[in-house]
Amino acid sequence: MAARGHVQDPNDRRLRPIYDYLDNGNNKMAIQQADKLLKKHKDLHCAKVLKAIGLQRTAKQDEAFTLAQEVAVLEPTDDNSLQALTILYREMHRPELVTKLYEAAVRKVPTSEEYHSHLFMAYARVGEYKKMQQAGMALYKIVPKNPYYFWSVMSLVMQAISAQDEKLSQTMFLPLAERMVEKMVKEEKIEAEAEVQLYFMILERLGKYVEALEVVQGPLGEKLTSELQSRENKCMMLYRRLERWAECNALSCKLLLKNPDDWQFYLLYFDSLFHLIDQSWTPPQEGTHSAEGEVHASISQALSFMEDRIATEEAKESKHLRGPYLARLELIRRLRERSCPEAQQLGEPLELMFQFFVKFGDKPCCITDLKIFLDLLTPDQHVQFINRLMEAVPLGAPGEDGVAFPGDTRALQRHLCVTQLSRSLGQQHALNTQGKLGLIKELKAHYRHGLQFGDQNMLWQSLGLLEEGLSHSSSNAQFKLLLLLLYCRLGAFEPVVDLYSSLDAKHVQHDTIGYLLTRYAESLGQFAAASQSCNFSLRFFHSNQKDTSEYVIQAYKYGAFEKIPEFIAFRNRLDHSLHFAQVRTERMLLDLFLEADISSPLEESVKSMSLCPEEDDILWDSLRDNRDLTVLVSWNPKDRQLNAEHKQRSLEDDTLWLRLRSLTLRLIGCVSALTHPPASRNSEKRTENGVAAKPSSLRSLLSQLESTLNQATQFTEKQLQYPFVGPVPSRLAQALSSGCCQCQLSSLQLPLHLQELEAAGLDESTELQTQISNLFKSLAVQLQDILEKCKGDPLEVKDSQSTTQHFLLENLVYFVETVCIVLWVSNYCVSVLRPLKSSLQKKKKKKKEASTVTPPVLSAYQEFNSSLQSLLNQALEHIKSQEISLTALKLGALSLEGQTQSEVRTFTKMAMDKVQSSYLRSLQEIGELLKKRADTLKSLKI
Amino acid sequence: MTTLRAFTCDDLFKFNNINLDPLTETYGIPFYLQYLAHWPEYFIVAEAPGGELMGYIMGKAEGSVTRDEWHGHVTALSVAPEFRRLGLAAKLMEMLEEISERKGGFFVDLFVRVSNQVAVNMYKQLGYSVYRTVLEYYSASNGEPDEDAYDMRKALSRDTEKKSIIPLPHPVRPEDIE
Repeated sequence: MAARGHVQDPNDRRLRPIYDYLDNGNNKMAIQQADKLLKKHKDLHCAKVLKAIGLQRTAKQDEAFTLAQEVAVLEPTDDNSLQALTILYREMHRPELVTKLYEAAVRKVPTSEEYHSHLFMAYARVGEYKKMQQAGMALYKIVPKNPYYFWSVMSLVMQAISAQDEKLSQTMFLPLAERMVEKMVKEEKIEAEAEVQLYFMILERLGKYVEALEVVQGPLGEKLTSELQSRENKCMMLYRRLERWAECNALSCKLLLKNPDDWQFYLLYFDSLFHLIDQSWTPPQEGTHSAEGEVHASISQALSFMEDRIATEEAKESKHLRGPYLARLELIRRLRERSCPEAQQLGEPLELMFQFFVKFGDKPCCITDLKIFLDLLTPDQHVQFINRLMEAVPLGAPGEDGVAFPGDTRALQRHLCVTQLSRSLGQQHALNTQGKLGLIKELKAHYRHGLQFGDQNMLWQSLGLLEEGLSHSSSNAQFKLLLLLLYCRLGAFEPVVDLYSSLDAKHVQHDTIGYLLTRYAESLGQFAAASQSCNFSLRFFHSNQKDTSEYVIQAYKYGAFEKIPEFIAFRNRLDHSLHFAQVRTERMLLDLFLEADISSPLEESVKSMSLCPEEDDILWDSLRDNRDLTVLVSWNPKDRQLNAEHKQRSLEDDTLWLRLRSLTLRLIGCVSALTHPPASRNSEKRTENGVAAKPSSLRSLLSQLESTLNQATQFTEKQLQYPFVGPVPSRLAQALSSGCCQCQLSSLQLPLHLQELEAAGLDESTELQTQISNLFKSLAVQLQDILEKCKGDPLEVKDSQSTTQHFLLENLVYFVETVCIVLWVSNYCVSVLRPLKSSLQKKKKKKKEASTVTPPVLSAYQEFNSSLQSLLNQALEHIKSQEISLTALKLGALSLEGQTQSEVRTFTKMAMDKVQSSYLRSLQEIGELLKKRADTLKSLKI
Repeated sequence: MTTLRAFTCDDLFKFNNINLDPLTETYGIPFYLQYLAHWPEYFIVAEAPGGELMGYIMGKAEGSVTRDEWHGHVTALSVAPEFRRLGLAAKLMEMLEEISERKGGFFVDLFVRVSNQVAVNMYKQLGYSVYRTVLEYYSASNGEPDEDAYDMRKALSRDTEKKSIIPLPHPVRPEDIE
């Protein structure tokens, strides 16, 4: 809470209890105490603000705001009020008001260092770079401290970074920043490392690499001490930019002598070497080779440099470094690429890799090391290579089943590495089914998991094996992730909740791996879990928006200038996260599906989530895919590995689905607004949360939905497959094949026609009425079609084998979602048709006509309503019967073929039980929702 | 066979392989940003040639200079399972110590679960010794008892008499440490 000074101002003493109540979360008492105080001391403004904080925290935002403004217009200059208002505005997410507050304060007390500095920070929070620049200079004029001056300079750099016009950055902002620093350099006023860092940043962004180099190598560069090798790293970067290969080469040599394991310098060493060779570089006649010392400009020099590095390693008793050995392989690759015969002088890759394995095979990273160089082997060497390695794996004598086991963990690690390499070389994929089964058996005997797919029975076994693995290694994240993925793919979400929570994923991990949770929960009908998973992620994203700005300010305070653009980019990356947009949209849809017109009317739900159909809240062009798609380890050969195309496709896949959902959501908002037009129709002004859908937005959203559906259909026709341990496919393909998207579109088109009818009236609209009647009929048929695709057993037992058809569950969810939308649209239809009907009856009464021909549209709607009734009954009946047969299913009676060990059988049985229980839960949740929806049908009669 | 470089915000999107380890805490964003803003030089990541993150160290400099308590502190040190047993943690510790030397620290200290024998032994091998035990430093969430921490220290060259590492005779409570 606000700082409380040591000086005993009587006001401080009076306010103290309120602060304490607020600190302890006792907002009610804080408000009471403030009221009490204000009775006695009317002018104690701070008490008002503290009361406002109490109100804000008890969800009385409007009152809080009014109260705060009462104080703000007085332009307070006492610390207590200012700090309390700052806290309040921050909690209200109105940081721009803090700037107003301190602008007034510095106007009144122009010499206050403190207020000026608060003003600077307030601008920083909202990213007002130009005003920051001025505020920084104003500060410096009052108190000539270097940091203030450089805050101003940094604000210029930020103007350059954020400028849309690159030319403006290069010709105005950056040169100005440069001149400001140069002035300090000339006056010899540079004090801190941060100032030099900033100077460097400016020169780098200006592309003035020569000047930057002079700074780093000159006396100013001596200040660069915090970071290790800071000067060397910067020089290296500049040599590369300037293509000073001689210096680049000499410096990498020096750094490699110091740390022969630093991979980046090997790469730079080789890069520079070949550039020098291509340029036929020769050393100068006299003097040193370069500013950084001796240069290697020939292959023979490089060969002997590599030999020396290896000889040094060989001479060591222990703790051999991997760098030199791997660098030798890298050099072979590069020489071969240039067809240099010298490649042979370094040795035969197979032999070198074998030696590497002998040295480092018991390290877990040996596989990732060698994998990069497998392409140095010719295909006909593969078998020989694996056999060679296998000889170096110490295994015991073969047991009864012919499998030999490693004796200790080191041997086990070696065996693991060979198996992984053999998989990487595609040898395991090349086996026939018999061979694969044999291998699985062997690998299982080695207590590991070899996952092969295609056969459901195999899938059960994999689950069993992984469950067993997890029971022995309860914190193995890979087991958990694989299990999680398998259960999801089997349509069983229930076990996933526990698995995910045992991963203890938090904070940023909600963004990177949260998709594992949110992708399946809703689509499998586990709505409660779905809401919860969305909430986890949303909470993280919302707090990020508030938190990050504070650290931009910290970075200014500590002079970590290079971190400022980094933090801002980070905040944007999270704000524009694909996952954020997904959970935001799905959370709203889910709320509507579960609540709207059940526990509260649709328009209230729409209003409470501030859903505005006209506004697209997703910046489609800036979406960032922050998913960590490599969280699962894969040792598969290259052609089965996740590649850039998969990632691109998956992003496209997810984005298309998001587009469909977001448009659907906005259209639901439109339907709601049509059914219940906002009360204040006459006033032009729209309330902040109010919805005012114009028919034009309905039409344009419908056409967008239609074209997105076409795109989506084309996309799914390509039938792309991702690697198993790659991205999970979106719901798109299944949704399209269920027919729900088309059906939702048809139902959302209805309001357009009904609007026309409303305008035309019943008498002059025979054709239109026929058209609408046909639409009702077609909608009923489409719904029936979706329902047909839900029929069947999700878990089936045949010939003592069990198979799953989890897509039936997904289709059921699509059916329910579509029913929700159809019912909301029906509600709108009712709102149009009922008045038409009653005015018709009035007319009839007047004319006392005997003939009672019901207009076709009214009878068609009544028919539609009763077909909905029968559809929902059918669906509920189906779900009920599925629940009964699923409960009765005894999976334990299944003979688990090929599972000899009772251990594995137990775990496989356990996995099956989990799937069964999860399916049951999905059915229950879907059934409950459908029942609630069915109950609302009665009110939709006319 | 490692690239050592400054940790950046983008690494937060890639560190799952390291942080899904049960003994490695994933902190809230503010925590990381605070370190990046205040002590960027103390936050170093090791990257494999394929771009995978191998491990990282996160630390800070703190303590009163006048009371000879200015020191480097290891906040987090973690290496992904497949990059263990390569001496990477030792390398990262060495870097943190060097930075602390340059800043004129008297010692480097760290907290470790008393049950984490592997880590305690590794730190001992790197020259650290138990300075004191902090009772119930690690709070457990699942109803299990809170766990004690060892506060381990290693003297730097500025502490010529190695006064900073003389073990305290009695354990302390978390609220008693600065």
